[in-house]
Amino acid sequence: MSTLKEILTRRPVAATIRLTLPAGQAKMGQTIGQMLGQYKLNQMAFVKDFNARTQKYKPDTPMGVLVTAFKDSTYEFTVRSPSVTWYLKKAAGIESGSGRPGHVVASTITMKHVYEIAKVKQSDPYCQYMSLEAISRSVVGTAASMGIRVQKELD
Amino acid sequence: MSVLLCSLRAHFIKHLPCTSFFSTRNVHHLTPRFTHPSTHSSSSSQLFKPANFRKLASITATFSTSSSSSTDTPATNSPNSPYLSVRIRCQFAKRSKGTDIVKLREGLSHVMFLIVFGQDMLSEALMCFGASSTSIDEEDRSSENDEANPLMYSRNPIHICISSIFSIDQNVHRSISHAVDSIGLTEAPTYDVIMGYQSDWIKETQESFHPVEVTERIWIVPEWRTPPDLQATNIILNPGLAFGTGDHPTTKLCLLLLHNLVKGGEFFLDYGTGSGILAIAALKFGAALSVGLDVDPQAITASRQNAALNNIGPEKLQLLLVPSKNGPPVIDKKAMNDVERQNSSGMGIISETEKYDVVIANILLNPLLDLADHIVSYAKPGAVVGLSGIISEQLPHIMERYSQLLEGMTVSEMEDWACISGIKKKKRGSHL
Repeated sequence: MSTLKEILTRRPVAATIRLTLPAGQAKMGQTIGQMLGQYKLNQMAFVKDFNARTQKYKPDTPMGVLVTAFKDSTYEFTVRSPSVTWYLKKAAGIESGSGRPGHVVASTITMKHVYEIAKVKQSDPYCQYMSLEAISRSVVGTAASMGIRVQKELD
Repeated sequence: MSVLLCSLRAHFIKHLPCTSFFSTRNVHHLTPRFTHPSTHSSSSSQLFKPANFRKLASITATFSTSSSSSTDTPATNSPNSPYLSVRIRCQFAKRSKGTDIVKLREGLSHVMFLIVFGQDMLSEALMCFGASSTSIDEEDRSSENDEANPLMYSRNPIHICISSIFSIDQNVHRSISHAVDSIGLTEAPTYDVIMGYQSDWIKETQESFHPVEVTERIWIVPEWRTPPDLQATNIILNPGLAFGTGDHPTTKLCLLLLHNLVKGGEFFLDYGTGSGILAIAALKFGAALSVGLDVDPQAITASRQNAALNNIGPEKLQLLLVPSKNGPPVIDKKAMNDVERQNSSGMGIISETEKYDVVIANILLNPLLDLADHIVSYAKPGAVVGLSGIISEQLPHIMERYSQLLEGMTVSEMEDWACISGIKKKKRGSHL
């Protein structure tokens, strides 16, 4: 619930921008330039800000960023953890999901991997209200849609 | 086959006019619109499958763009390399985050699609299916807002526009149809594909650069504007693609530090020089020599240009390209050619350690931690070392790492960014 003060000082939103940027390695490039330049945002400041805030992640992990651009050329952004599919691909050691999920199994992972991924995801602002079990179930679902099978233990 | 396509096009032309009207608004790029070559083949093959509304709607979407196709093969980051910008126009009767009631009104000769949908889901799906980025514009709503009777869908459509960027060799049509399928929309919204060029956005960034007054009588002015105060110390800049316009809190913090430190005749090292702003500022404050190091060749070029803009010759401002892995700086070929003009004693100064009275590094946390010894080794014992580019919560790490090397550390903060300065410890015989 927003406080009264927040409502009074709420700035009109010009746009919501979603980007995927490598952690700590964002550079001025066409993605950032095209997307942010459209709304007259200070891109250099954004790049520096983003790089500074993602220093604690391993370099080059693709982080999702949600930028809210306001009409007065200011912006706010939240950095989200990398996508579940990316984590799954890393855990399973494959480059891309299976071509025919459900029929062709690309790789297998264990419940331990799922649990670890769910723990990371819980720190995401979107998932904080969900129980670990619920997040794990959605991770398993994503794995199934990619053709990755989940086993109790690796045999 | 082309006859078939033409007749199909004519059949659906009736509901195209309203969408093509929208498609001519808000076009940033003046370049002509292209369809991706592969979309033609995919759409023609769809003609022979059993018809259903979704596929037919997708075909009409591709026909709304012009039919010439491009055969560019780009290098993705060179200037003027093309990319695809797609604007998807969706009509939402009521803006909401999760409901997906699809309402379909069928006329005799044409079909109208009204969708109640969460546009956030669509943009997330687009990201999954290959878009490099998506952006949701809030366009102006019609005056009767959704506060009115929500059942009156047809009267108050809200036009939401989603722009996304794809790289030139992606199948835009397929990505969009996958994204739309995955959400459960049965009809694809109409969209345009526009090819844009890199240089377009570069120009736009430059427009937002204004003269900045860092402190009393020190201004940083972009090349294409006149300085507001001609008496003050003016640093003229054209940053290009490098960092350092004077706007950012870290740059301001470092400039303030420099202003207090440089009295005249010092040797100054700028590690991570970006546009060269700190090195040039040091010279303007009275330093004898400035050296700038950076890992990015564009930064070196930008710094060189800026030095010329401020009438600073290569003897006073020397620039080096540093390889990005940890290692001693190597003079690369291009820098060599420019540096040839200098005398040999000038060259010697660049790579010598313990020669600088002031060293400033305005980079990021991780490089600062990794290169701590290297950066401090450039400073004379008793010289001042300044570090920035860190957010306030990263301060403890830096303090811990550098406390072995520096003493008398002071911190200044501005807007959640911090700058640390310390004095290099005198050698006690043990090698740092």
